[in-house]
Formats: sequence, C-alpha cells, structure tokens
Amino acid sequence: MRNLIIFLRRYFNFFLFLLLEVICIVLVFRNNNFQKTAYLNSANNVSGKLYDRYNNVQYYFHLKATNDSLVKENARLHNLLHSSFDSMITSNIIKTDTIRQYSNDTAHRIIGTEMRRYLYREGKVINNSVNRAVNYITIHRGSLQGIRPNMGVIGPSGVVGMVRSVSDNYAVVLSLLAKSSGAASSNFGVSARLIKGKEIGTVYWDGADPGYAIMKDIPRSVRLQKGDTVITSGFSALFPENIPVGFIDSFSGGDKSSTSYTIRVKLATNFYNLQYVYVIDNLLKDEQQQLEDSTYHLIK
Amino acid sequence: MSILLRNIIRFVLLLLLQVFVLNKILVHQLVSLELYMLFILLLPFNIPRPAVMLLGLLMGLSLDMFMNTMGIHAFACVFMAYLRPFIINILSPQGGFETNMKTPSMISMGVSQFLIYVSILVFLHHLALFTLEVFGFGNLGYLLLKIVCSTIASLVLIVLYELLFFSKK
Repeated sequence: MRNLIIFLRRYFNFFLFLLLEVICIVLVFRNNNFQKTAYLNSANNVSGKLYDRYNNVQYYFHLKATNDSLVKENARLHNLLHSSFDSMITSNIIKTDTIRQYSNDTAHRIIGTEMRRYLYREGKVINNSVNRAVNYITIHRGSLQGIRPNMGVIGPSGVVGMVRSVSDNYAVVLSLLAKSSGAASSNFGVSARLIKGKEIGTVYWDGADPGYAIMKDIPRSVRLQKGDTVITSGFSALFPENIPVGFIDSFSGGDKSSTSYTIRVKLATNFYNLQYVYVIDNLLKDEQQQLEDSTYHLIK
Repeated sequence: MSILLRNIIRFVLLLLLQVFVLNKILVHQLVSLELYMLFILLLPFNIPRPAVMLLGLLMGLSLDMFMNTMGIHAFACVFMAYLRPFIINILSPQGGFETNMKTPSMISMGVSQFLIYVSILVFLHHLALFTLEVFGFGNLGYLLLKIVCSTIASLVLIVLYELLFFSKK
C-alpha cells in the first residue's frame, strides 16, 4: 500500500496529464453527438454576446456586398412572381395561381387550401469560419424564435448547412464546409441532383478549398457538361427541392474500373462573406419521419 | 505589475486576440494562425507542473468555447503544458536560469535558446491539434504541410509579440 502511494506520488504529474487528456478526448467525442442544446459552444451567453458586439462593428464593412446579394435575390424572386408573366392565350381557360396565400401573423394558419410545407426564418450571421476542418456558423436566432436542431440553412444564393445546436437566442450551424472524414459522426453531405440529368448524388466538402466541394455516385452513363447546375434533390427532409448547391467545375472518371464520376462542384454560396441566412423549418418533417420509421419497423 | 496580474491580463488579451483578430484572418488553407498558446509558454519557470496543465486546460477550453471545437484545443494545450518542463530542463544551463528572471523571454533565455524552446513546443502543439482535428493520417502529406506551415506562421507571430514587449524587463 505504501509503495502504491509512493508510486502514485512519484508519477502524479503523468497521471494528472493522462486524466486531463482523457477529459478532453471525452469532450471531443461527446461534442460529435448531434442534437443537443448548447452550453459550451459559441451559442452560449458569453461568447454569443461577444460575437454579436463584434459583428455590429464588422457588419458595416460588408454592407455593400450584403446589399448586392440581397438585391440579386430579390430580383430572382420577382422574376418568379405570377405578375411577371403575361399569358398570350386569350381563350377562356381556368388559370391556377401558383402563389399560395397565407396569413401574415402565424405560419400555420392558411387562408388558401394548400398546406404550407416549408417556413423560412431569416438569421443574421455573427460568426463564421472557413479555414478549419469542420467549420461552424453562429447565427443570432435561437429556440425562442423557433429554431431547432437539424433544420436546413440556406443563404441568398444556395445551400449553407444545417442547425446543430441552439440556445435561447443563438444557434450554431454546421457549415457545408465540414470535412467528411472528420471526427466520428460530423460527416455532412447534401443530397443533390443534376438539373439536367436528374441523377442523384451526395455533395460533400473535401477539406481543401472553401469554394469547391465534391459530388460522387453519378453514373458514367450521364453526359456531363462544365457549368451545369447542381441542385438539392428534396429527398432529405432538410432542404426543399431545387435550391442551388453549385456548378460543375470539372469531373473525372477515376480509374477504369470505377462506374461513377467524381465531380468537382463550385459552390453557389460564397462562404467568405456570408451575412444573412434563412433557416428552413420543414413543417411536415415529423410526419414524414414517423411514417418512414414505422415502415422501417414493419419490415424489421 | 505583479506576475499574477500580468498573466491574467495576458490570458484575456491573447484569447481576445485569437478569437477576434487572428481567426478572422484567412491567409491560406494550409496556414492557420495560432497565438493563444503563448500564454502557456510565457508562464513563470517556477510554477508547479500540475498548475501549468490545469491552466492549459482552462485556456484550451475557453478557446474551444468560442470556436465550437470542444476539447480539441484543450487537448493540444494540455499536451504542450505537460511537455514544457522537459524542454526547459533540456535547454537550461547548469544550475538553471537566473532566478531573478522569472518568465521565459528572449532576455532571460537568450534569443536562440528562446526560439528553440518556442519552436519545439509550438510544433508539438500543432502536431496534437491538427492530428486530432482531421482525426486520422489519411492525408499525411497535407497534414504535415499544414503543421509545418502553421508552426512557421505562429513563430513569426510570437517573435512579433516578443519584440512588441521587448523593452520591458
């Protein structure tokens, strides 16, 4: 017993070192569990508020770029409006309005008869990084404003990421710029398809250039062209269909035995100067999830 | 100014500098600017080893809180803090450094000794940090290049920091 105590005292430093490192490793791997509220990350009160202060100053230097991107988006949405189209047909046919009507006060009350599926909430980016292996974005919107983990996030020009954890007034978004072979389960890929060929694949970041991502699983039978648009498939409950992900920059077939292309995609979103994002609430997500789960159990 | 007060100020200063200045600067994908571990490097010589490690944990966790990298910086920082006394022992002349020079600096250790001390520990820190960050040796060349490039960047920053506060004893 005495020897044991002497032994422990002699190597006390080493054991303390081991203990602390084990604590750190546990923290690293616990952090990789999705879906939990935030205590020790940038969504908490101290760091969230500090980032908010900082952003108040830094925001002014990006006003020009922010305005440009918002105006561009407005123009795009105006072009989709029904009033922008002029029908040349003069015969009496029944036109159906594709713009749906909803009340302004709450999201869920519908004036028209159609169901609302997606609800967009805007959020201000207060912290952002692009040069890490796994990048996060902090936004000034939290659970009090209806943000919950596992919601999709898009920017003015394309896909951005998904909400990972929330506090009362802040939320941390896992950026699309999260390296796939990163620690444990932090893999993040977006289910996407080609706008022309309709083939489905997954877009993920390879950790190299913040402007580009990789798309895999596209069969070699497809004819690809440089500049083709890649959009979200709508298969995952995160994003609606037809949201731009990026554009084909280059593609290679790998070796001869491989049956699929590897495509380098230029991302639609410029992660360097992201100022505003939209958080997408899929109102039918629970229903879809429940149905899929129950079917899965049935088969099992 | 007492040593304690000076270290507390340095802790806050380096943390804010790291979070709000250095993390916002994007040099290259291979270069990530890290200066916060200078806090551990500049702790007094005679501080007990458990205290160095605990302070390393505190510094690392504070930074992790801001950067959403729970535990990664803390791991690297504790690793570096544990190895610090060994490096100091190897580098110290017979009979240790002069006792009135209580903190490591270019004056107390000599320029070349200090640079060796700093570069070894910064390299070890970056080794632990980036290995844990990418988690795996899949892309070994890229990882090594990133460690080396970031170490050089950190050394430049540390030398700048030292020159800035050089006049003080």
